[in-house]
Amino acid sequence: MRALVTGANGFLGQSVVAALLAQGHTVRALVRPATAVEKIGWPAAVEIVRGDLRSARELAPAFADVDVLVHLAAAVTGGDDAMFASTVSGTERLLTAMAGTACRRIVLASSFAVYDWSAIHGTLDENSPITSGTKLYGRDGYAIAKSWQERITRRFAAQHGWDLTVLRPGFIWGRDHGYLGALGQQIGRLHFVVGPFTHLPLTHVDNCADLFARAAADPRAIGQTLNVVDGPGARIWGYLGEYMRGSGEGGFRLPVPYTVAFGMVRLAFATILKRNEKLPSVLVPCRFEARMKPLRYTNRRAQELLGWRPPLDYAECLRRTYGAKQGT
Amino acid sequence: MRAALIGAGQIARQHLNCLKTLPGVQIVGVCDLSPSVAESIAERFGVPAWFTDHAAMLREVKPDVVHVTTPPTSHFRLAMDALQSGAHVLVEKPATVTFAELEQLLHYAGERQLMIVEDHNYVFNHATREIAQWVDSGKLGAVVHVEVLMTLDLFGPGGFADPNARHPALALAGGALADFLPHLASLAHRFIGAHRRAHAIWTKRRPSILPYDEFHGVVEGERGTATLGFSATAQPDAFWLRVFGERAQASTNLFETRLTCERLRDGLKPLQPLKNGLEEGKAVRRAAMGTFLRKFKPGPATYDGMWHLLAGTYQALAQGTVLPVTPEDVLAVNRMVEALKPVEAAS
Repeated sequence: MRALVTGANGFLGQSVVAALLAQGHTVRALVRPATAVEKIGWPAAVEIVRGDLRSARELAPAFADVDVLVHLAAAVTGGDDAMFASTVSGTERLLTAMAGTACRRIVLASSFAVYDWSAIHGTLDENSPITSGTKLYGRDGYAIAKSWQERITRRFAAQHGWDLTVLRPGFIWGRDHGYLGALGQQIGRLHFVVGPFTHLPLTHVDNCADLFARAAADPRAIGQTLNVVDGPGARIWGYLGEYMRGSGEGGFRLPVPYTVAFGMVRLAFATILKRNEKLPSVLVPCRFEARMKPLRYTNRRAQELLGWRPPLDYAECLRRTYGAKQGT
Repeated sequence: MRAALIGAGQIARQHLNCLKTLPGVQIVGVCDLSPSVAESIAERFGVPAWFTDHAAMLREVKPDVVHVTTPPTSHFRLAMDALQSGAHVLVEKPATVTFAELEQLLHYAGERQLMIVEDHNYVFNHATREIAQWVDSGKLGAVVHVEVLMTLDLFGPGGFADPNARHPALALAGGALADFLPHLASLAHRFIGAHRRAHAIWTKRRPSILPYDEFHGVVEGERGTATLGFSATAQPDAFWLRVFGERAQASTNLFETRLTCERLRDGLKPLQPLKNGLEEGKAVRRAAMGTFLRKFKPGPATYDGMWHLLAGTYQALAQGTVLPVTPEDVLAVNRMVEALKPVEAAS
């Protein structure tokens, strides 16, 4: 199987390329024109094609002899409009190019950000509601862009009869990516841990990549939407402690009950903050919930459908994230 | 009045935020080459129709006013199409790539009693209007000189110097910096009038795909002189407007709310710097807090000039009165811009 991987040099992309290669597939990596791929250290077998989804007019040749598109490219920084242009319009260009080729299979990296966290109670799973309508625009730019990316990918797939798999990872973590928005609010060396016993929807980047590679090759994944988490997830207090030790950042943790913090945010938003959506995420209730709401998570569907078990346990994930680099 | 937008990116969102608040203005359509951009902006702002073909939009929703908020290289064709559909045009700066195109648009509009307004939003910022009022009231005395200097980092990812996706503004003579020239020129024009002579230096300090990252110009106008500058490397980001009068000197950072004034005072001369300094310190502290709190308040924030300009434009169009930015202003500002452009085409 030959896979075209967008965002191949990104945090998740590098692990997905490695997982695809490890599972015996051929990889064509789409990277931006100015990317220095030599630093990544890919084996010579990885085909490199260059293009920027924001501007490339001729993306169709990248699909030559490609069996599956693994679409990971998305902006994670920048303003709302820049993220939308990069993530959504970029996907539009990519899929428009794909429509003129023989490739009919896509695996899309969506996100937990598409869920309507305000409406979910108990367990978040693939049947949980996603944010839609004008409510979406109260969310942050990343959530808006990822929701639209999934929306238009589904439309393209339906229109062209493509085989689509949507994977929605929770918080992807790994080396140099240990700190997560869900950990609360950091002010200097003080970490306000909102809901210290809350579980985190974690997936280590190598576990996550393993599922992407398997889903790309397994016909049972066609037409499916799967959440990607390694399990019920570590609790915030413990995870943050490992981060502080592992990263050497240190600092102090101050626990704050979720209900107290969320109640204060809701009250302030409705009164003194006048429902202003320009505020930082931590002060907007629906964004606050998307970062820190205490829910339960499961990878049951991926287990049942593909027989998937995360290959790395939590201890190994910690070692790969904070331990000495391999070969050093 | 029925308003429509062509181009639904970042600046369009600022236009729409303002239009939503204007009485008697109905947003009837938005258009963007990207269907998802057009559809999402329509959904977000409750606009009833979205298009990817501007000609279809003009034909179907028949707007009275069209906002052209696309990259500058497409302005001329889109503005002309909008005029030909019988609509007034509000176009983002720079209105056109060449001065000849602008003349053609203004000529066409003038013959049909249609208006073209270029977005000189910083002329209508609160601080600029305050300084203009000080000039009109005599507080500043006659204007001698104006200094306009923008320092703005253009090298961040996804910006003008992104080597991966060539920014459309790089097609302008002068490159990305030319995108800002109308802001500088419109402010100078507001205080010294049309230019008589101009001289500019364009240089490059840092390796990048930008043809230039530094610009400095000197202008002699009808009522005084001005220096205009842009630096992509000097930091922090700021937009300084300083107006030097015969009685006082006003200074503002248009990216913030800071506005100060040093003036001649009655009383002992040695006390003047002390009084001015204390007053300035008070104004700077107040502005620092105001700039910070502005981030937490709904409303236009740094786009307050645009909101004022749009409100004034729609009111003038509805009542048939003089526009805040007249065709003569647009022409004079762009003549100044033309005189400051680099002699050789951007490499």
